[in-house]
Amino acid sequence: MAVTMRAGGWLILAAVLSLVTPAAAQPAAEEIMAKAHLAMFYPGEDMRARVTMRLVSRDGKERVRELTMSRRDLQDGGEQRYFIYFHRPPDVRDMTFLVWKYPGKDDDRWLYVPALKLVRRIAASDKRSSFAGSDFSYEDVSGREPEEDTHKLVREEKVGERGAYVVQSAPKDPASVDFSRKVSWIDKATWLPLKEEYYDRRGELSRLFTAEELKEIQGFWTVTKRLMKNVQTGHRSESVLADVRYNQKLSPDLFSERALRAPPAELSR
Amino acid sequence: MRRRLGLLLLASLLVARAAAAAEEIPLHGFVQAASAYRLIQPDRCPRTQRLACREEFVLGEGRARLELTPRGGWWGLVAKGELIGDAVGGEVDGDLREGYLDLRFPAVDLRLGRQIVTWGVGDLIFINDVFPKDWVAFISGLPLEYLKKGSDGLSATGHWAGTSLQVVLVPRFEPDTLPEAGGRLRFNDPMAAIEHRKTDDPSPALERTEAGLRLFRNVAGWDLSLYAYRGFHRAPAGEVEPGPRLRFFFPPLDVYGWSAQGAALGGVVSLEGGYYDSRRDRSGRNPAVENSRGKYLAGYQRELAPDLTLGLQYAGDVMEDHDQYRATRGPGMANRPTIRHVLTARLTQLLWNQTLRLGLFVLGSPNEGDFYVNPEVKYNVTDALWAALGVNLFGGPRRAEYGQFEGNSNLYAVVRYAF
Repeated sequence: MAVTMRAGGWLILAAVLSLVTPAAAQPAAEEIMAKAHLAMFYPGEDMRARVTMRLVSRDGKERVRELTMSRRDLQDGGEQRYFIYFHRPPDVRDMTFLVWKYPGKDDDRWLYVPALKLVRRIAASDKRSSFAGSDFSYEDVSGREPEEDTHKLVREEKVGERGAYVVQSAPKDPASVDFSRKVSWIDKATWLPLKEEYYDRRGELSRLFTAEELKEIQGFWTVTKRLMKNVQTGHRSESVLADVRYNQKLSPDLFSERALRAPPAELSR
Repeated sequence: MRRRLGLLLLASLLVARAAAAAEEIPLHGFVQAASAYRLIQPDRCPRTQRLACREEFVLGEGRARLELTPRGGWWGLVAKGELIGDAVGGEVDGDLREGYLDLRFPAVDLRLGRQIVTWGVGDLIFINDVFPKDWVAFISGLPLEYLKKGSDGLSATGHWAGTSLQVVLVPRFEPDTLPEAGGRLRFNDPMAAIEHRKTDDPSPALERTEAGLRLFRNVAGWDLSLYAYRGFHRAPAGEVEPGPRLRFFFPPLDVYGWSAQGAALGGVVSLEGGYYDSRRDRSGRNPAVENSRGKYLAGYQRELAPDLTLGLQYAGDVMEDHDQYRATRGPGMANRPTIRHVLTARLTQLLWNQTLRLGLFVLGSPNEGDFYVNPEVKYNVTDALWAALGVNLFGGPRRAEYGQFEGNSNLYAVVRYAF
């Protein structure tokens, strides 16, 4: 018994050393991605923003989606709830969308169709599906858990004026996603992703994400303008966040069927 | 009356538009053109359907919709009025689709006026959704939202600790809009020889108020509901009176049911059941009035690939006292089995950043042999303009539920510009 205790003690010491030693010079790739996940998708207890998405096709045809997104975290890095109210285009005006996001399990998603007064449950098995017709997938909007990929710190380099860690990630279950690898440039100062490259199964660059504008809001660094370009089709989506507010003590009641059917008036303005 | 009311409200909407410009009240709407060309015209033509036998188009119309939706912190007003120009019938008409006042209290939501209520979890299979429907609009190829009709009444929903209770009271019964003699649609008419027809006023007195209850709660990600309804059959029963004259009336009906919907098996699972207590014909001996029935459905929906969704359903409809039904069934009436089985499949593929939607819906009864098939292509030309082209194909035995509509099978096109 004493022997195992001692062996256990050595193991712990070895583990602590292995964590401490590289951290002094360079954080582990897993740690970078975990921090980036929290910085991008979990800032504050809750958040609300007016989002304008411009969807531009290769030939310059433009479509605009405007929505108010509210988010509330149940635990940091864990369960989250999203409530989305669509302002335009006209065929989705007054539609509301509710997501209960669980780590390690399919989301629960509900869509309310005002013309039919119908709350429709949406199958959420595929997170690669496009969000509202944009080049952002559901996963890009609400985050992909870092544990689903293996990560490798490749190098450090500057993106504009900002120093960044370059991390290469590969999915543990390649069948579950449409990328074979992803390269992320994570800002050393804010832990936000400044750039991401997605490579398809043939190893070709398929999508390119860039953080176009970063702002500090209530002490939280936020990507207020993000661009996702589908390199292969030439289609791109630009998402601009306005009126961003954190820690508004959003009521849990907002994330319910009642709110789906009758969203609070402040959302529809 | 309903139409005149609609015109009046439309006029007031137009007046309100002027005010809206000044006050910045949200005002929206659309203009829409829709047409449906009849693909199949059966040879036999019953005397009551001469118009339907002659008419090439089941639909040809233009609509203008105005929506006025001012909203405050604790109140909201919704008025949606339409002006409809029917090119086939050569008429212009007004309709108030929805017109209600919302009042919001901390634990109670009230809605007063003409409102659409949708219950249940089925996809074109209705068990606990006992509210009025416009089957003529559906068969004619109008967008699906026109299948639902408003009810003039009061809805109150209370919310306590995650559980909600909705009470719907409708003093003025609104029947389903169904194909009828002299109309533009073909249907099975067992009494085609009798052209003299009369429909009883559906709700002549206050005691005929309809009432619905829905109790619902989310438990571990599952949406659970219990339903109860006291009212009337939406489709009329027909009785031959001396003359001879065919008299239509709406027999009483109670419905009790439940539904559950949640994430399971990598998709969404839907379950629903209901019991239809046909109070006027509990013995099943009255051939004019529907027997009591039990209905159930099981559905499964799954995303097969990004932007490709498959939905499957199985539904059953069990007739009580089937022996009595068989013994008293009149000539020309459908010979329905004890259990009607129905299978449905819906496949939806979104393409081109979700601007192009390819849809296929198939419904069929393996034991009665009737079916409904609806392929549709919908393209969002811009954010404001969409166009849809599709086919409504009905078929099977001519007395079965969907088989009787074979002669209404159509190729339809809809174009809508919204603002």
